[in-house]
Amino acid sequence: MQDTGKNIIIAGVGGQGILLFSNLLSKYYMKLGYELKISDVIGLGQRGGGVESHFRYSNKPVLSPFIKAGDVDYLLSFEQTETLRYLHCMKDDGVIFSSTFELSTSSVNTRLEKDMPESKTELIKSSGKKTFIIDPDENKSSDFDISKMMNIVMLAFYAELRGYSHDEMIQIVKESVPEKFIEGNIKAYEKGIVIARAQLA
Amino acid sequence: MKKENTISTMKMMNGNEAVARGAFEAGVKVASGFPGTPSTEVMDYTQQRYPDIYCEWSTNEKVGLEVAIGASFAGYRSLAVMKTVGLHVAADALGGAAGSQINGGLVLVVGDDVGRIAGDDYNDVRHYGNMFNIPVLEPSDSQEAKDLMIKAFEISEEYSTPVILKITSVICKTTSGVIIDENYTYEVKCRVKYPVSFSKVIMTTMMMNAKGSKHPKLVKCFNDFPAHIKRLASDCNDFDINKLELKGKKIGVITAGTPYFYTKEVLHDASILKLGLVMPLPEKLIRELAQHVEKLYVIEDGHDIMEKNIKDLGISVIGKELFPKFPEMMRFTPDIIEEKLVPDAPKRAVMEGIPFRLPVSCAGCSHLFISQILRKHKIKAASDVTCGLIGCFPHMEAYQLQKCMGSSIALAHGFNVATNHKENFVAMIGDGGFWATGINGLMNLIFNDSRSTTIIVDNSCLAMTGGQHVASSEFGFNYKPENKLEIAKVCEAIGVKDIVTVDAYEFENLEKAILNAVNANTNSVVIVQKPCVTKFKLPKGDAYSIDQDLCTQCRKCINIGCLAIESKKAKDGKVEIVINEDLCVGCGLCSTACKFDAIKS
Ligand code: SF4
Ligand code: SF4
Ligand code: SF4
Repeated sequence: MQDTGKNIIIAGVGGQGILLFSNLLSKYYMKLGYELKISDVIGLGQRGGGVESHFRYSNKPVLSPFIKAGDVDYLLSFEQTETLRYLHCMKDDGVIFSSTFELSTSSVNTRLEKDMPESKTELIKSSGKKTFIIDPDENKSSDFDISKMMNIVMLAFYAELRGYSHDEMIQIVKESVPEKFIEGNIKAYEKGIVIARAQLA
Repeated sequence: MKKENTISTMKMMNGNEAVARGAFEAGVKVASGFPGTPSTEVMDYTQQRYPDIYCEWSTNEKVGLEVAIGASFAGYRSLAVMKTVGLHVAADALGGAAGSQINGGLVLVVGDDVGRIAGDDYNDVRHYGNMFNIPVLEPSDSQEAKDLMIKAFEISEEYSTPVILKITSVICKTTSGVIIDENYTYEVKCRVKYPVSFSKVIMTTMMMNAKGSKHPKLVKCFNDFPAHIKRLASDCNDFDINKLELKGKKIGVITAGTPYFYTKEVLHDASILKLGLVMPLPEKLIRELAQHVEKLYVIEDGHDIMEKNIKDLGISVIGKELFPKFPEMMRFTPDIIEEKLVPDAPKRAVMEGIPFRLPVSCAGCSHLFISQILRKHKIKAASDVTCGLIGCFPHMEAYQLQKCMGSSIALAHGFNVATNHKENFVAMIGDGGFWATGINGLMNLIFNDSRSTTIIVDNSCLAMTGGQHVASSEFGFNYKPENKLEIAKVCEAIGVKDIVTVDAYEFENLEKAILNAVNANTNSVVIVQKPCVTKFKLPKGDAYSIDQDLCTQCRKCINIGCLAIESKKAKDGKVEIVINEDLCVGCGLCSTACKFDAIKS
C-alpha cells in the first residue's frame, strides 16, 4: 500500500541536533512530493531544556501543527527522560526509538523533586509498543562523537526500518551539514545502519 | 503584483520567515523593533534575506515603534516587531499613532507566547486592538503569515490606521509550505496622502465641537478615525481572509490562528467561521453562522477576547465556560477540543512522576559568578530581565526581587529610599536591560540624590533572545566602531562616582569589587565583563572533575546553577555528584563553592 503519511515526534534536550534531524527528514519527504508541517517546541531555559519537534508528512494538506495524543506513528528520542513524556502519545502500532542517554533534570539535581525509582529504560521497554533502544556507550566509536551525533545514527536506523534509500539520505546529509562535519556524519550514519541491521535481524 | 515571468515555487518556511517574506513583497522600507521570543527572527530573516529593507534593533520597543511611525509618515511602508510584553513598553507610542493619519502603511508584528512554551508571559496583544480600536490580523500557517502581512499594509493605508499582525509561538516555530514567486522583484511602496499627522487629541477636540474647532486650519488636520474603523467593520464581511465554511448544523465554531487547524483536525462535520481579521469582527458572517447551527463555540488561543466581543454583539457563544483559560489551559491543542466536544473520546494522560526540567544557565555563564557572590555574602538584590534571572529560582535563591525589563535599578532605589538606606539593596542588570530602559533608573536615582549599587553585566549582547546586538556591542546591523557606546563612560557622564570594571572569571577581584561597591558611601557601578559564552562560543578551558573520595555530597556546588554539574545514579544505584566533561568549560566557579576541596581542574 502506498504510504499516505505519518506522524513523528522527535524529542530530546537542547544541543542534540533535533532541529537538524527534522530538517534532514523534511528534505527527504519533500523530494517524494509530500506535504509537511513541522512544529518545534523549545522548552524553558537557556540550556538543557526539553526540545520536541512534531513532524507530519502527508499526501494531503496537513492540518494541525501538533500531533494529537494517540496519533504518533514514530517517536525518535535522544534522551530517555524525554522519551517517557511521549509514551502516551503513541498509536497502538507505533514504533519507539530511544537512546539510553540521560541528562539529569535540574529539579532532581537540586532535590526539588525525587527521581523516578524505576529504571527509565525498563519503563520504555515495557510500554507495549515496538521499541528499539540504542545505548551510546555501547556504540562509542573513535571515528565520530556519538554523544553529538545520535541524531544521524537514528536517522540511519529509521531509514533502514522504513526501507528508504541510504544513498539518498546520505546525499541529503552531505548537502546540509558544514563541510568539516560531513565525514563524521557519514561515519555516524554508517554506524546507524549497522546498529539497525543487528537489531532488525 | 503578478509579473509576466512569474515562477511559483513552494518553499518551506517557519512563520517568522514567512512574515519577513511578506514584508519584502509588501515593499517595506523600514523595519525596527526589539528582540523578544517568539518573534525575534522576523527581524533576523528580514535583515539577512532582504538587504533592500533598512533594519534596526532599536534601544527598546517604544523607540522602535516611533522609528516606524516616523518612516510611515514619510510615506514608506514600515514595520515594528516586538513581543506583547514589549508592546507594553511601546503602548504610549501606539496610542499616539492610533486614529492618526497614515501615509505609508504601518504594521506592528507582535509575538504572543501562547502556551508560554519558550517564554515568561501569558499576554494577549488583542487587548490593544480593543483599547485603541486597531485592526488585528492573525495567520494560521506560514502561507497566511506571508499573505496577511501584505494585507495588513493594504488595510493600514486604506483605513488610515496602524495594524497589528498577531503571531504566536506556534506560528513562529512551525514550518510549512509557502508559495512564492522566485522572480519577484522588490519594489518599495511610497504614498504621501496627508501633509500632517497628529494624535487623536486634535480630532476629538473637533468631534466635541470645542470652541474654535471649525477653524479651517484645524479642519485641515481632521481625521475621522471612528468612521474608518466602522467602514472596515462593514467591509470585512466580504474579505476572503474571513472564511465561512458551512457544513453540519450541530456544531459551529468561530476560530482564528492555529486553533483553526486543531478544530478542522478533530471536528470534521463542524461549520466553521475562520477569521484572518480578528478585529473588528465581521458581524454579518457571525450572525449567519449562528443562524445555521445549534451550538456555537469560540475557540481562540490567549485570552477570551473574541468571545467577549462576540457577546457584545448580543450573540451567545460558548467559550471559556467549556474551555477555561489560564492557568487551567496554557494553549489549545487538538486533544483539548476532542476531549470536550467529541463524545467517547479516549483519555490519554502523560506518565506520572517524570521529573521537570527547571531552567539552568549555560556552563560558564558570568551571571553564575554574580549570583554566587551575592548569596555567599547575603547581599540583598533585585534582578532584571536577563539570563541571570535564573538566580531567582528556588534552587539558586540569589535575588529577592525581580520584575520587568530594565526595572532593577529603580526597584533597588525605591527599596533604599523607603528603608532610609539602612542596607544597600543592590540592582543587577544586563547590558540589554540597561540600554533598554534601565539607564533611566540610573539617571533618576542620581538627580534624586539617592545612593545605591548597580551591577551591570556586560556580555556584549542580548543573550536571552539569542545574542542580538545592543548599543555597547561590537557588532550589529548598522555597527561602526566609532558609534559604540561605552557603559562606563555613560555612567560617569550621568554622575556615578564610583565605577569599576572587572572580568567575571576573576572570582576574587569580582568579590572584592562587589563588596567595596556595596560598602561605599556613594553611588557605585560594577561592570562585570565576559562575553556570553554561548553566543560568542568562547574557547573552553580544561574540564573540572569531582574527587568522589573527598565529596561529601553537600550539594553546594549544584546550587551555583551550572548545567554541567549533575547528580547521577551510578549503575550500582549509588548517587554521585559529577561534572559532565562535555558541558564543562573550565571556568572554575564550582571549585570556589566546595569547602572540601573535592573539585579539581
Ligand atoms: S546565553 Fe549567555 S548569558 Fe545566557 S545563560 Fe548562556 S552564557 Fe549566560
Ligand atoms: S560542593 Fe564539594 S563536597 Fe559538596 S557536593 Fe559539591 S563536590 Fe561534593
Ligand atoms: S568549572 Fe565548574 S562551574 Fe565552571 S563550567 Fe565547569 S562545572 Fe561548571
